[in-house]
Amino acid sequence: MLQKRNLFLNSLAKLKSWEGFLLFLLAVIFIINSQQTSAYLSVQNQINLFILSIEKIIVVLTMTFLIINAEIDLSAPSIMGLAACLMAWLYTQGVPLPLALAICLLVGVLCGLFNGLWIAYANLSSLVVTLAMLICYRGLARVFLEDKSIGGFPEWFNLLGQKPLIGPFPLAMIVFFVLLVIAVVILQYSGFGRHVFVIGNNAEVARYSGVRVKRVKMLLYVASGFVSALAGLLFAARLGAVRGDTALGFELDIITMVLLGGVSIFGGSGSLFGVFLSILIVLNLRNGMSLANLTGHLQTGVIGALLIFSVLAPNIFAQVRAAFRRRRVAAARDEAC
Amino acid sequence: MEKPVIETRHISKRFDMTQALCDVSLDLYPGEVHALVGENGAGKSTLIKILTGIHRPDEGEILLDGKAVQIHNSQDAQALGIAAIYQEPMVFPDLNVAENIFISHQDRGKFVRWGKMYKDAEAVLAKLDVKLNVRSQARGLTLAAQQAVEIAKAISLQARVLIMDEPTASLSAHEVQQLFKLIRSLRSQGVSILFIGHRLEEVFEISDRITVLRDGMKISSKLRSEATTEGVIRDMVGREIKDFFLKGATKRGDLLMSVRNLSKAGVFRGISFDVYGGEVLGFAGLIGSRRTDVCLALFGIEPADSGEIIFEGKPQKIRSPQQALELGITYASEDRRKLGLTMPMSIASNISLPMLPRYMNVLGLIRRHEEIAAAEEFRRRLMIRAESVNVPVERLSGGNQQKVMLSKWLNANPKVLILDEPTRGIDVGAKAEVHHMINDLTDRGLAVILVSSDLPEVLAMSDRILVMREGRQMGIFEKAQATEETIMTAAMGQNHNVAEVAA
Repeated sequence: MLQKRNLFLNSLAKLKSWEGFLLFLLAVIFIINSQQTSAYLSVQNQINLFILSIEKIIVVLTMTFLIINAEIDLSAPSIMGLAACLMAWLYTQGVPLPLALAICLLVGVLCGLFNGLWIAYANLSSLVVTLAMLICYRGLARVFLEDKSIGGFPEWFNLLGQKPLIGPFPLAMIVFFVLLVIAVVILQYSGFGRHVFVIGNNAEVARYSGVRVKRVKMLLYVASGFVSALAGLLFAARLGAVRGDTALGFELDIITMVLLGGVSIFGGSGSLFGVFLSILIVLNLRNGMSLANLTGHLQTGVIGALLIFSVLAPNIFAQVRAAFRRRRVAAARDEAC
Repeated sequence: MEKPVIETRHISKRFDMTQALCDVSLDLYPGEVHALVGENGAGKSTLIKILTGIHRPDEGEILLDGKAVQIHNSQDAQALGIAAIYQEPMVFPDLNVAENIFISHQDRGKFVRWGKMYKDAEAVLAKLDVKLNVRSQARGLTLAAQQAVEIAKAISLQARVLIMDEPTASLSAHEVQQLFKLIRSLRSQGVSILFIGHRLEEVFEISDRITVLRDGMKISSKLRSEATTEGVIRDMVGREIKDFFLKGATKRGDLLMSVRNLSKAGVFRGISFDVYGGEVLGFAGLIGSRRTDVCLALFGIEPADSGEIIFEGKPQKIRSPQQALELGITYASEDRRKLGLTMPMSIASNISLPMLPRYMNVLGLIRRHEEIAAAEEFRRRLMIRAESVNVPVERLSGGNQQKVMLSKWLNANPKVLILDEPTRGIDVGAKAEVHHMINDLTDRGLAVILVSSDLPEVLAMSDRILVMREGRQMGIFEKAQATEETIMTAAMGQNHNVAEVAA
């Protein structure tokens, strides 16, 4: 009997955590949305939700690693844009498309390497470095395409972006779920993931414990560059055309999803489960607001409010909890005397 | 006789486990330089913090001009005419000299009158006979000049009591003389100065009266003319060795590591010693003696510039902690919170961190059960009080955190274990357990380098003691020759020659 009670209390305690709160929020959004139209709950609608933002969501995965590591990569969307533009330009120059794709992935790796060099080895602030590179890589993308929009890629490429590949799922979604599984395994179960958390908590303790801090950071930026380039190419395939402003301004949505997922902006804590829930929340909330005929600007405002809340709420929770603990300790002390 | 400006009467202060101050009464007369000396942890800083309103005394009172006053915060202290300057001057580097002098003045009107401010600043500096351009930025100033700015700031606030906490610690000999000139001119203007210093020759040069604190109690207070260096040192260390676990004589094992002439520019130089298995080598010295920097060089965090490290017969250049770990050298930092443990993470993941590859399979995934088993083993062996090894370290007491940190480094199977202040801030019981553990380790043939500011601890635990002072090695004492007096004499830079004998 007692054990049963404890089990119940434990599951309640879990709900009290941030993930529990996100689950609750998601359930509310689901219920409200499904009241509006029966089509909302259909598998196709849910898949469409994903597809509309799938490139951002892919980059959310690497961004989660970086923010847990107490770093950030603002340049990721510019690398997406650069990869897409370079691919289009190479294609117009007569380079075979598969080769162009490979080159662009390599360029993504190089972009990440370049970011990482400054941040890990020159000890510069990642905020500053990647802000500069956000501008720089975007500028480079525009150099390739100027003001043109380039389309007319081979049929197979466009189909890869648009047509369901396995069951109802297109390639990009499969890529996302495969990367998600890999990311969960690395972050939650591997030694590398442990190092990411320790560095995010306290890079000095990591260094004093023999962790190769610079190498971990370097690897994360390279991964971020590669995944961003991959996402940029998938974006080009889905849209069928590329412009200089492809993926412009995506960084805000990406970072919002990571932070709303309960990842601390100061690094050191967070889980991919929380981030995945936050992705579902943002997607479904946007969808619901569209169903309710809210304008895009208003939708952005609501998401922004949610972000502020996500940063504030853990503080408020912690303060309330601390106040209770103080009272308990004070009571215990009075008793002792 | 004149009345004292400020008096403390029967001040006591307790922090959790430690009695920082116990019934301390002190007085300070106008135009007097009163020196306060004592070992690290004797209670000097606590007394300063009480006088400047950072801490409140548990018992006792503070009297200003014979009237009891309450000092709740630094604004109160400022209003009462009490100012303090510290080892590291606290100037704003981007503001100019005049702005820094008047930074705390809230009574100069709503708008800045630059012309008047520069003139006033010049007047204050002239009064102190300091030549500085009031328009120059504080950034480029030498430490001594920055201190002069701080003193000018205090004078501009009509400070009558100036507390100087080790103001000479980072000054050159020439700058010290400049500072002393300034102190003498303040004294002639009737300002009272409480001077905290580690260098006895300076204390004897500048002060009118010398008060010794030890373990939070006032031991003696003498006019300079009546005090002697030997007497002051005796008062500082005169504690009896009790409550201490005396290390049993162990057989000296093989030579593990030889350090020859290890130097790092501007930090330390000429450090040479041998470390044998089964032996505790104590590192003694006062704050600023650079003992920790030598340890950081041995562990590869801040590698030395020159000198040799010979480990198990082979010369090694240790450039990174990974390399030190591979050789079998580990370093447990004095700063548990900032450099030792990741506080929000579990006991198990803290213990396994330096040796994480040992717990990974071919795919790089952590074998959790092995990691937990290893941590459980240490929890039992070192009696870490926690409900499980999955508890975050931040929830443990200081002593148990210390044991987690020791476990973390023991788990790395070291041959040479460097312990930097392993018993600082932990209670008597945990302290004794740490001492037992050190004895246990040396019995098994490990070498321990024990850095400690707790002199009785170093004396009780060490087979040999290396004494450092300001980056220099003052000597190595065998257990038989080492007494509190000889060690403290060497650490304070007295009788340099005697100390060399054992080196």
